[in-house]
Amino acid sequence: MAKNHTRYIFSMGELKRKDNSIAFRNEKGNFYIPIQDTRELYCMNEVSFNTKFLDFISKSGITLHLFNYHGNYSGSFYPKEQLVSGDLTIKQSLCFIERRLHIAKAIVRAIALNIHESLYHYFRHGKKDLKQVLDWLKNDLEKLLNKELTIEQILFVEGQVWNRFYDSFKYFLPEDFIMNKRVKRPPDNPINALVSFGNTLLYTKTISSIYETHLNQTISFLHSPREGRFSLSLDISEAFKPIIVFKTIFDLVGKKRIQVTKHFDKSLNYALLNEEGKKIFIDAFETRINETFMHKKLKRKTSFKNCIKLDGYKLIKYIVEEKEFSPFLLKEKM
Amino acid sequence: MKINGTLISYFFICKTKLWLHANRINLEDNSEDVRIGKILHEINESKSKKAEISIDNIKIDKLTRDYLVEVKKSDSDIESVKWQVLLYLYKLKQKGVERKGKIEFIEKNKQDKKIHYIDLDEVNEKELLKICDKIEALINAPVPPTAKFENKCKKCAYYEYCFI
Repeated sequence: MAKNHTRYIFSMGELKRKDNSIAFRNEKGNFYIPIQDTRELYCMNEVSFNTKFLDFISKSGITLHLFNYHGNYSGSFYPKEQLVSGDLTIKQSLCFIERRLHIAKAIVRAIALNIHESLYHYFRHGKKDLKQVLDWLKNDLEKLLNKELTIEQILFVEGQVWNRFYDSFKYFLPEDFIMNKRVKRPPDNPINALVSFGNTLLYTKTISSIYETHLNQTISFLHSPREGRFSLSLDISEAFKPIIVFKTIFDLVGKKRIQVTKHFDKSLNYALLNEEGKKIFIDAFETRINETFMHKKLKRKTSFKNCIKLDGYKLIKYIVEEKEFSPFLLKEKM
Repeated sequence: MKINGTLISYFFICKTKLWLHANRINLEDNSEDVRIGKILHEINESKSKKAEISIDNIKIDKLTRDYLVEVKKSDSDIESVKWQVLLYLYKLKQKGVERKGKIEFIEKNKQDKKIHYIDLDEVNEKELLKICDKIEALINAPVPPTAKFENKCKKCAYYEYCFI
């Protein structure tokens, strides 16, 4: 589906049900959002609504993602589960007990290979300093993962993959975007702000995609299911981070469409995107996630966003039918 | 599990779809054809001024003095519709209601007539019970049968699941 099913609301106002349509009202007047091809609504500012509105979007199968003024994710409202399979939930839990490590390794491998793919682009264009990290991602990592590891060790390997990736930014990003250290909650510099914002957007997209499958959102494999979040979405989104979030960041920063002095909040030491910055980022992010290509296995055109759902299907097949689980790889295009 | 109209038609359409659907991995179908089917159903219902009839776990489009009527969008899969109707006739018969079967197609693509008649007789009743046993056995298998690609797969809601 090439159509974009996502609407973002940036201003303060009120969301209402108006007959069979969604109306957004602020001081500038009424805006109508057609319900038919909307699947997700993102509120990036203070928005009020009532239960009549929630009931309406719930019936229409729309997911609502809420962010506070600072761009931090507050939570999601999604329609009551339509696709519930008790049988699959039981099998998913069993799978966690018996085959957790296998899935966790598959995810880490996919993160590394997708990072490799995105860094290779810069290597090919003359950034030869990347050679060492590329070799490590391709060769050493596979050796590491082939060993017998505990979940803690797998998570440690995953941490190393990301650290080496962040460390390599200095070879191809402009100086003011080089990352010294990944800092979350709250991010302390521009690049961390972009990473946090992008990861959160991807996470919410994944929640909406998993919602379209029968998977239980709370039973995860790489992340601990004890995190009390929809941790399966954290798992599934990992492999897509390098190719969606980071690709968006590299493009915007490389082409100077996002600049430290213009698009970040000065009063907070540039550690938060300002409204214009958010808009530019979301626009590029949406374009990227809706980009279509020929899926090698399905032999039909598909978008990256749809591939997130397809990874859900792969996981179901692994859980139910024991078919090999391998998350989406950019190189294989499947 | 009680056999219903959907299961029996899936038996003829695709065994993988049958297993997945019966084991509650039912995928949503947003295709235009499904929407048309639903609307035809609504139109048909408002015309006859009687809502569809639910008996046990089957839903009957229309019941007249002589006929049990099933309305379909197209005649693309006559065999599956035929057995669906036979199942309904059989269920009705168990309740002591005897009717003949009538199938109305809105579009005739494969056949030259829009209305087909089918009756429950001794031969196809026996066959029907055999099919029901086969369905039972299929859906109780631990894993679904692996899908083999056919032309009809292209427009199926399960396509992505089957061939990923």
